[in-house]
Amino acid sequence: MLTIEKRRKLEGFLALLFSTLAAALGLFWLVFILGDVLIHGVGALNLGLFVNDPSPPGVEGGGLRNAFIGQFIITLFGTVIGVPIGVLGGTFLAEYARGRNISRIISILADIMVSVPSIVIGTFVYAILVRPVGHFNGWAGSVALAIIMIPVVLRTTENMLSLVPWTLREAAFALGAPYYKVIVQVVYRGAATGILTGILLSIARVAGETAPLLFTAFNNSFFTLNMNQPMSSLTVTIFQYAMGPYDSWHSQAWAAAFVITIFILLLTITGRLIIKWRYK
Amino acid sequence: MAESIELEVKGLDFHYAGNIHALKKINLKVYKNTVTALIGPSGCGKTTLLRCFNRMHDLYPKNRYEGELLFQQQNILDKGTDLITLRSRIGMVFQKPTPFPMSIFDNIAYGLKLKGISKKSDLSEKVEHALKHSALWDEVKDKLNASAYELSGGQQQRLVIARALAVNPEVLLFDEPTSALDPISTAKIEELTETLKKDVTIVIVTHNMQQAARISDWTGFLMLGELIEYDRTDKIFTAPSEKLTEDYVTGRFG
Repeated sequence: MLTIEKRRKLEGFLALLFSTLAAALGLFWLVFILGDVLIHGVGALNLGLFVNDPSPPGVEGGGLRNAFIGQFIITLFGTVIGVPIGVLGGTFLAEYARGRNISRIISILADIMVSVPSIVIGTFVYAILVRPVGHFNGWAGSVALAIIMIPVVLRTTENMLSLVPWTLREAAFALGAPYYKVIVQVVYRGAATGILTGILLSIARVAGETAPLLFTAFNNSFFTLNMNQPMSSLTVTIFQYAMGPYDSWHSQAWAAAFVITIFILLLTITGRLIIKWRYK
Repeated sequence: MAESIELEVKGLDFHYAGNIHALKKINLKVYKNTVTALIGPSGCGKTTLLRCFNRMHDLYPKNRYEGELLFQQQNILDKGTDLITLRSRIGMVFQKPTPFPMSIFDNIAYGLKLKGISKKSDLSEKVEHALKHSALWDEVKDKLNASAYELSGGQQQRLVIARALAVNPEVLLFDEPTSALDPISTAKIEELTETLKKDVTIVIVTHNMQQAARISDWTGFLMLGELIEYDRTDKIFTAPSEKLTEDYVTGRFG
C-alpha cells in the first residue's frame, strides 16, 4: 500500500509524463510536415515558377504565375467581402444587441459555422454561384472564402469589443456622443489591434483552403485576371499537380506548398506578435 | 446672497430594471456655482441620483424615472429631451479615470469635435485653456501628442476633468472622483473643485465625509434610497436635525 504522499507524487509524475508525450507526438508531426515541405519545396523553387505560366502537360519547365496571382486575387476579394461583414456583425452583437438573446444565438451559430467542413461551404456556393452561371468562376471562390472568414472575424470582433471596459463608453456618452461615434471613435480604437489580429488570422485560415475553391473557382491552366472565369489557385493546383503523373508537376506542387505554408506561417506569426506586443 | 437654482429634484422616484426601487421621493435643490456633496453608506442611491442628472440610466433598458428633475426650470425627464445636448451641458467624471485610447490632445479635443469645432487653431486654443483650467497644462504641455495612458492616475483624472470642461458645461457631476487616487492627487482635485465652482455648478458623490466637509457648500445625506437630510454642509456636520445623519457623520455606522 502506497502512502498518500507517494501516491500523489506518482500521479503527478504520470500526468506530466503523458502530457509531455502527447505534446511531443503533436510536435513531431508538425516538424515532420514542415521539414518535408521545406526540403522538397526549397529545392524546387526558382524564379521561373513565379513569372511563367504552366507549360502543356508533360512538357518540362513552365511556372505557376497563374496560380499565385489567382490565389492572391481570390483571397483579396474574399477578404474585401468577408471582413466588413464580419466586423460589422461583431459590432452588432457586442454593441447594439449586447445581452439580448439574438446576440447569444448568433454567437452560437457563428461558432458552429467555424467548424462546418469547408467542403460544405464549397458545395453551397457551387449551388448558388456556379450552377446558375453555368461555369466555375473566381467570384464564387472569393465568396466561399468570405463565408468561411465571416464567423471567425465576427467572433473575434465581438470578443475584442467586449473587452473594452464599459466605463470608457459611458465616458464618451457623458460628453454627448451619439452611439455610432462612441463605437467608431472610442471603442474601435481600444479594440483595434485585437480586431486586426483576428483579421490576419482569418486570412491565414482561408488562404490554405482547397475544398471550397475546388467547387467554385476550380482551376485554369491559363493566366487570367477575369473573376468571371475559372481561376487558378495555389491550393487547387497543389491538389491537381500532386495527383498528376509528371515529376515536374510534383516538384512544382512542393514549391507551391512551401510558398503558401511560409505565407500562412508569416501571417500567423505577425498576428501573434501583435497580440504579444499589445497585451504584454 | 440670492442664490439661483440650477437643478431641482421634485418627488423623484427611480426604479432599476427588475423593479428595484433605488430612489424614493427625492426632493432637493442644487444652487448655481456651489459644490453639493451627496454622502451616505454604500448602496444608498447617491450614485444613482447623480446619474439621473445626465440621464446616464437611459443607456440601459427598463430603467424608469418618475417625478421631475428640473435643469434651469426645464424638466429633463421629459420625453423630448435631447440627451446629446443635455450631456454636453452636464458633464460627468467617473470614479476610475477614463482616458480614451488616443493622445492627450485628442482626448480633450474629442468633445469639442462632437460639438462641431474642427479648426485646428480653435481646437488648440480650447485644449490649452481646458488643460490650464484643470491645472494639468504645465505637466503635459510638452507631450500633448503622447498617449493619455502614459499619465499617472491623478493626471488622468485631471485630464478627464479637462475633457469635460472643454465643452463648457454648466454642471459637472463627480462620481467619487478621488477614491482611486493617492492623497496628493486627491488634494489637487479638491483644490480644483474650489476654483471650478466660479464657472460651473458641481455635484459630487463621495464616500469620504471629510472630503464632503472640506469642499462642499451643501450636503445631502442619503440612506436606502431616501434623502434623510439636505442642508448647508456646516449644519450637516455640526448640528444635523436628524438623528440618523448625526450617527452617520460621527461614524457610528456606515
